[in-house]
Amino acid sequence: MRFDWINILTTVIFVSIVVTLVLAVASYFAYKVREARRPKTAAELRQEGEMKAFFSQYQPPK
Amino acid sequence: MAKKKMHPLLQLAISILLIVTLVVLTLSIFRYPDRLGPIAVTTLVITLASFLTLLILRHFLLIWFSYLQQRELAQGEPLEAYPFLSIVVPAYNEAEVIQASLGSLLELRYPYYEIIAVDDGSTDGTYEKMRAFEGNHYGVQVQVFRKENSGKADALNYGIRRSRAPIVVCMDADSRLTPDALRYAVKHFKDPHVGAVAGNVKVINRHNIWTKLQALEYIEGLNIVRKAQAYFRTVNVIPGPIGIFRRRAIEGTGGYDSDTFAEDFDMTVKMLADGWKIHYEPKAIAYTEAPEELLDVIKQRYRWSRGILQALRKQKHLLTRTSGTVTTPLSLWYMIFEGLIWPGMNIFANVFFIYIALMFGMTKLLVMWWLLLTVLDVLIAVHAILMEGEDMRLALYSIFYRFFYILLIDVTKVFATLEELVGLDMQWGKLARKGRI
Repeated sequence: MRFDWINILTTVIFVSIVVTLVLAVASYFAYKVREARRPKTAAELRQEGEMKAFFSQYQPPK
Repeated sequence: MAKKKMHPLLQLAISILLIVTLVVLTLSIFRYPDRLGPIAVTTLVITLASFLTLLILRHFLLIWFSYLQQRELAQGEPLEAYPFLSIVVPAYNEAEVIQASLGSLLELRYPYYEIIAVDDGSTDGTYEKMRAFEGNHYGVQVQVFRKENSGKADALNYGIRRSRAPIVVCMDADSRLTPDALRYAVKHFKDPHVGAVAGNVKVINRHNIWTKLQALEYIEGLNIVRKAQAYFRTVNVIPGPIGIFRRRAIEGTGGYDSDTFAEDFDMTVKMLADGWKIHYEPKAIAYTEAPEELLDVIKQRYRWSRGILQALRKQKHLLTRTSGTVTTPLSLWYMIFEGLIWPGMNIFANVFFIYIALMFGMTKLLVMWWLLLTVLDVLIAVHAILMEGEDMRLALYSIFYRFFYILLIDVTKVFATLEELVGLDMQWGKLARKGRI
């Protein structure tokens, strides 16, 4: 049996490029989702003036 | 007043919109080729032909100039006297690696130096681990400072202000210098026009496909470019893990700026603009911990891409500068080409060759194109590995390098570029350390 190397290679190249492109877009999307869900660090909260999100000031009873 | 930040979900929505637009645009171009018209088709073909020509030319120029530079380095003479050095190590939440990093600095084979470690408001015990090194270690004075968190650029400036030497070494806390790194690097300062020397960064944690591909990328993609650029003394990125600076040059620029996410590139551009030469020393080796998972690789490259664009935008007046040396604008144009144009063209070329193979049955063209690029990549990988005395097994990964790894990175670069142009908010994106150094 004679192998058609061109067709085999074409299939391999085609599949690898398409899979890579899909993987690249999907992982970029996954990265954005992970960043969006990540809790903010203290430095980021301080920068945004939202540090109070973690602490509420104690008010003594009158 | 603090700038009002965009909600993360809104940012995510804009990112998804960008992704969908790009995919739809690409598909629509290839879905209806007859609507493109002969001029558009000719433009496409010329663009792709130029891309391939440039790619081949780029590979051969890199091989040629890096070879010339290697030959020139081999003829260099050692220094008679070594200058006093200050090593500045900024750290933010580096408890996993800081002791290995500072420990490597105490093992340097260099006669006369001091270490300035700056904790940038860490919350993980980095400062306490740094304090263990404070004091005098057989003539090497280690000073440890702690300041409120204000970013890497500010921490570097803080350390530089407290250093005393005429030559300042800036490094990352997740890096480990080889014992002779600085002896090789400082000899370039014999030339009074050299303002800085870029070191050779290598990946230390090479135990999975991502870190091995990055190891190859550092050798084949980054260091060989620096070596070729060093032939003209215009290295355009002094890497964060190891940069050696003349104090006069760094002070002349006003220090590191905090307004970009690529403070190392920004500093390099400022130095080139001031007319300083920037060299590269392949034997000044710093090992660094590379991200080990795909999403972390993307996170790092996203930050690099946007940081470079921010620095380029800041210094855009240099692109058209007519006074001074021509190498500075050339160097910046090269960065624009590598950072902006190249990734888009690479993705487009991949899609284009697949399309013509499928639609017109030109499968031989696809295979020839693939073979051409793979042979080029294997050639440059073997050349780079031989020059650096690296592990030849890494050359095997060059087969996957362009059609898998670089394509992945290029997609990230394109999205990062779009987000930077749209002006989405971004955070530094600190990578979690595994303590591999």
